Amino acid sequence: MRGFRAVAAGVLWLSAVRPTLAQTLPQGPAEFAGGAVTVSGSVSVSFGSHDELAFFNYTDYEHNALRLVRIAVAGTWRIAPRLAVLTELRSEDGEQVVPYALYLRVRPFAHVPFDVQAGRIPPVFGAFARRSYRIDDNPLIGYPLAYQYLTSIRPDAIPGSADDLLLMRARGWRASYPVGSEDAQPGVPLVSAYRWDTGIEGNFASDRYDAAASVTTGTLSSPRTRDDNSRPQVAARIGWKPAFGLVIGASASHGEFLNGALEDRYRDVLGDHSYGQTAFGFDGEYSRDHWIVRTEWINSRWTLPRLGVPLIQQPLTATSAYVEGRYRVSPRWYVAARADTLTFSRVRGDRVFAGVPTTWDAPVKRLELGAGVYLQRNLTLRVSVQPNWRDGGRVRHRTFTSAQLAYWF
Amino acid sequence: MLACWPAGVVGRAAAGTIRGRVEVKTPIVAEAERPDVGALGMSSIREPLDRRRSVVYLETAPRAAFDAREEPHARMDQRNETFVPHVLAIVAGTTVDFPNDDRTYHNVFSLSKAKSFDLGRYATGKSKSVRFDHPGIVRVFCDIHSHMSAFILVFAHRYFAVTDDEGRYRLENVPPGSYTLTVWNETIRGDAPKRVVTIPEGGGDVDADFTIR
Repeated sequence: MRGFRAVAAGVLWLSAVRPTLAQTLPQGPAEFAGGAVTVSGSVSVSFGSHDELAFFNYTDYEHNALRLVRIAVAGTWRIAPRLAVLTELRSEDGEQVVPYALYLRVRPFAHVPFDVQAGRIPPVFGAFARRSYRIDDNPLIGYPLAYQYLTSIRPDAIPGSADDLLLMRARGWRASYPVGSEDAQPGVPLVSAYRWDTGIEGNFASDRYDAAASVTTGTLSSPRTRDDNSRPQVAARIGWKPAFGLVIGASASHGEFLNGALEDRYRDVLGDHSYGQTAFGFDGEYSRDHWIVRTEWINSRWTLPRLGVPLIQQPLTATSAYVEGRYRVSPRWYVAARADTLTFSRVRGDRVFAGVPTTWDAPVKRLELGAGVYLQRNLTLRVSVQPNWRDGGRVRHRTFTSAQLAYWF
Repeated sequence: MLACWPAGVVGRAAAGTIRGRVEVKTPIVAEAERPDVGALGMSSIREPLDRRRSVVYLETAPRAAFDAREEPHARMDQRNETFVPHVLAIVAGTTVDFPNDDRTYHNVFSLSKAKSFDLGRYATGKSKSVRFDHPGIVRVFCDIHSHMSAFILVFAHRYFAVTDDEGRYRLENVPPGSYTLTVWNETIRGDAPKRVVTIPEGGGDVDADFTIR
């Protein structure tokens, strides 16, 4: 209740200062060098209840998605009509500036809508990770579970047995295992929306169809700037627009998940097998009038070494699905909601859970209800209520109230 | 700025014409598009945006300017992810049609005090309309394409003109009297250029040129 009051007070304060802000903030991107260089920026300030007990909203950078200050600057340098360099630099919670995106975009043939991008590139898999880069395209404050919630597995440390794995249920915010890195570190989400991978991709787009494929150094759940295991990830997505406003997509990816240092250290035990992440996804969007409805389904499978008894017999799978919608009530106001679920396959331990097959991580359900107001075209105030339920861990249910002021130019 | 009221005595004397040229020194550039780092490819190349288009109008207008007329219609297209025209000047009471000529969704909206509206998303070949009843400047945007913007200037009277490709304008049938002539251009920062012009009792042409830097 105290958190709710704080958010309400913040909203009232921001409403009061709106006229002043509206008079002074830039409306659009800045141009330099005769329009060849375009620079835009965005700032979002999210504030709400703490989450140090449950870690439902922690990201792989150990930030709380509902209590985050993000400053981003994006730029395009059009070297030639069909050649450009794009970048986005970000700082979260006042920490160091990181190049989240930095790549070259080339259109090889003038009259063919085929583009090649190389560098730290947007992911081709799914839909949300590309959308999340646009501050105004996430109708809510939180992220979908598949793109944010930290599962208990890590690329640099692995469980020695099924019991080791089950001990870390609901500990994705700080998981530790006996094999590999000895530090307790955050696990990985199914797909990271907070980091992009490095590599090359090609995209063909027509009015009704689009297809994209990429080769990158990391994996969906663990994107990397530098390759650490000498085995690339291959990902692809095809999209279809069967009717106006309707987009349907299907994605797949496969890449080596375990990091090279771990594989080298335990080469005798691990052998030359591939321990990878394989994922499939479907996404859909329908919009009309004042409605947008989006959905995604993602299934990810990680193959981990079978080291000790009780063995982890099968690859570990995680499946997540969400449906979100936004309705614009008036020119200034909108309401939005997202229903989200994340489930896991079962493993059988010995000492832990008394040998009863149990999901390897604790399933999570999340609902987020929100509303937003456009204080001006590029200045949005959002509020949301987000109840979470988890089938395991120290804290099994928590509801967060948060508000976000987002500005872009 | 655009709210006007009667000024001077309007008799049955011959009307005159105010004409001239507005020279805008601001260079013509493509409409700035936010760097879309999340896109998997290039966006289509659009026509350069002509920011030289200005609107010249009388700050105060003769009483006859407010006579009721039939409800006028105007049109602002959405074509190649651009609003065409970029600047539209209308008299209060005009209904503006917003047809979508593109092969993608658009969502025309405005949060302006003079007129706030949101037409939602509609497909190619469809059109929606908005009636503008109150004088003022209405900034029009697309909710999907952030680089799309346009201006609709709504006047309480009919003594206004949008400049042509060469910057020329012409206000006709202006009754004799003294008026303050003002220029609006989106590149103007600060006070708008103004001039006092007088149409003599016998009518005739009056020249008034402006330069915007």
